[in-house]
Amino acid sequence: MSIMTYRQALRDTLRTEMRRDPDVLLLGEEIGVFEGSYKITAGLLAEFGEKRVRDTPIAEEGFTGAAIGAAMLGLRPVVEIMTINFSLLALDQIVNHAAKIYGMFGGQARVPLVIRTPGGGGQQLGATHSQNIELYYAFVPGMKVVAPSNPADAKSLLLAAIRDDDPVLFLENLALYNAKGEVPDDDTPGEIGRAAVTRPGRDITVVAYSRMAAVALTVAERMAQTDGIDIEVVDLRSLRPLDRETVVDSVRRTHCAVVLEDDWLTYGIGAEIAATISDGAFDWLDAPVRRVAMAEVPLPYAKTLETAALPSADDVTTAIRQTLASVGRRAGKDIP
Amino acid sequence: MTEVDARSRPRPADGSDPGQAPSKVTIGKALNLGLRAAMERDPKVILMGEDIGRLGGVFRITDGLQKDFGEQRVLDTPLAESGIVGAAIGLAIRGYRPVCEIQFDGFIFPAFDQIVSQLAKLNYRSQGRIRMPVVIRVPFGGGIGAVEHHSESPESYFAHTAGLKVVACSNPVDAYWMIQQAIESDEPVLFFEPKRRYHEKAELDLTATPVPLHSSRVLRRGGTATIACYGPMVKTCLEAAESAAEQEGHDLEVIDLRTLSPLDLEPVHESVRRTGRLVVASEAPGESSIASEIAARVQQECFYSLEAPVVRVTGFDTPYPPSKLEEEYLPDLDRVLHAVEQSLGW
Repeated sequence: MSIMTYRQALRDTLRTEMRRDPDVLLLGEEIGVFEGSYKITAGLLAEFGEKRVRDTPIAEEGFTGAAIGAAMLGLRPVVEIMTINFSLLALDQIVNHAAKIYGMFGGQARVPLVIRTPGGGGQQLGATHSQNIELYYAFVPGMKVVAPSNPADAKSLLLAAIRDDDPVLFLENLALYNAKGEVPDDDTPGEIGRAAVTRPGRDITVVAYSRMAAVALTVAERMAQTDGIDIEVVDLRSLRPLDRETVVDSVRRTHCAVVLEDDWLTYGIGAEIAATISDGAFDWLDAPVRRVAMAEVPLPYAKTLETAALPSADDVTTAIRQTLASVGRRAGKDIP
Repeated sequence: MTEVDARSRPRPADGSDPGQAPSKVTIGKALNLGLRAAMERDPKVILMGEDIGRLGGVFRITDGLQKDFGEQRVLDTPLAESGIVGAAIGLAIRGYRPVCEIQFDGFIFPAFDQIVSQLAKLNYRSQGRIRMPVVIRVPFGGGIGAVEHHSESPESYFAHTAGLKVVACSNPVDAYWMIQQAIESDEPVLFFEPKRRYHEKAELDLTATPVPLHSSRVLRRGGTATIACYGPMVKTCLEAAESAAEQEGHDLEVIDLRTLSPLDLEPVHESVRRTGRLVVASEAPGESSIASEIAARVQQECFYSLEAPVVRVTGFDTPYPPSKLEEEYLPDLDRVLHAVEQSLGW
């Protein structure tokens, strides 16, 4: 075990995989000489050279398309899209090509492609640079979408993504890059499609991913003190495939749930989770599943408005209290 | 809500008196008549798209319009969806009301950045100073013997995106009124047309008063269970309801959602409070789909009325299959009825 940041875990994992497998190469804007806008690729150009760490033109569709071609012919490209917002320009390549090629050609070609990209607001980057649009990829059959919330998962899921034979969108988050945590020293890949119970609890299930999974843990610790509530936190880690079993199992034990996401509410991943819980734990549920999400507006630039639009720890606390109140339960025991 | 002014109602293309007995038209023809009416009423309405002028569109929805309104108002564009939508955004800033045709659903992805980063956001980013009266028409769904990229249901992407309105018509009457209402709206509207139903006919009464654009509608009353659907699945669900009535004596309520963003779920909630059971039907792959949102909302709003979980009938979580398999892929009458049985058997 070592303690390191999310950023360091990503960088070390990229280096490990490039040393292990000569077919792994990196492509993206400013990832070489400038070492990446968020410095994830620092030092990699110096170690691996220009052929394996490629500075591309500012043309997401072009370099994502090139990476798809490279992947079809046996390489394992890891593309960095500077922020997920710019992936919109490559959406046709990702949705219509990367995700469909395996099926369209009857399995003759695979696309072992990783697209690393950070999402998230809160940095005052304005409406077009602060989106959480991972759902555009989580909708798509043929894609895999992972969203680690801590340094250990960042490592294990990046290992898994690079070694996976299907296209994987690897969602990072601007607010998590400096988050520190314990990271195992061994290079065992995680399992894509497996959620984790990051905090066991009895009273209510909180389901989240990426930044909101970290927020959920903070809220759980705080509410254990303030409200005497024992919250179970399920970190989805993967948005496609979804680990419905872990979510449903948890709710069957706690009988109620709140779902968190940084994205817009309507048609969000929270809708799928709420529908899944309602479906899988119908007779166990004591209250409707509540969702906490971002206000349904393009994210404002003004700091006060941006903060107001993003889901906060207080919003989560309120939703948890409302849910528990509606089943007449508090502090881990039924109210007579 | 936008309503079409009765005084400016158009005469049908054949020149007959709108007051006469209504005649039967297809969805395709109704859209054509609606576009014509909007263009006659407002010279700022222009159409743009691939092969929509001389050819009249691959589905002939814009048939004859370039001939009557000229090349300045019905523009044949290059095969460049990002360019079509981008140009429409610029035109809208300058006061035009562009209507873009995206030839097939799968072709909308190259225009995604323009739609999500610009079209959906300019009104907000200009603090309301810039209006975006742009309509993007998208023939969607499968069932015409085409392959992936030509048979897709991408409505969820846009319904999820803040700043966009999304509607889907299911019959000629709605097609005629909804396209005009969408054009009159000052907000960007994604207008989904059920391409495999283009040839479905119904009587079109031009003197009728249309319901508001962003409203859902109960098409069939019933008390046994509720079915919510939209676009091409509406016909399937109505047929399923008829069959259930004849074969099983079930009395199914069918609601056409019509508007996917904003959603108008009050009629669905009201219905579920009576029936206690809901089936949601949609052609798109089911995960994180329109059906998921309806299920999530209904479980929250009608928690104490639901007798069974909301059952979702959707396409499968695979890329759209080759045409020989599409009958297996598309939810049909049997799958809808099976879902109803599942709900009733809970």
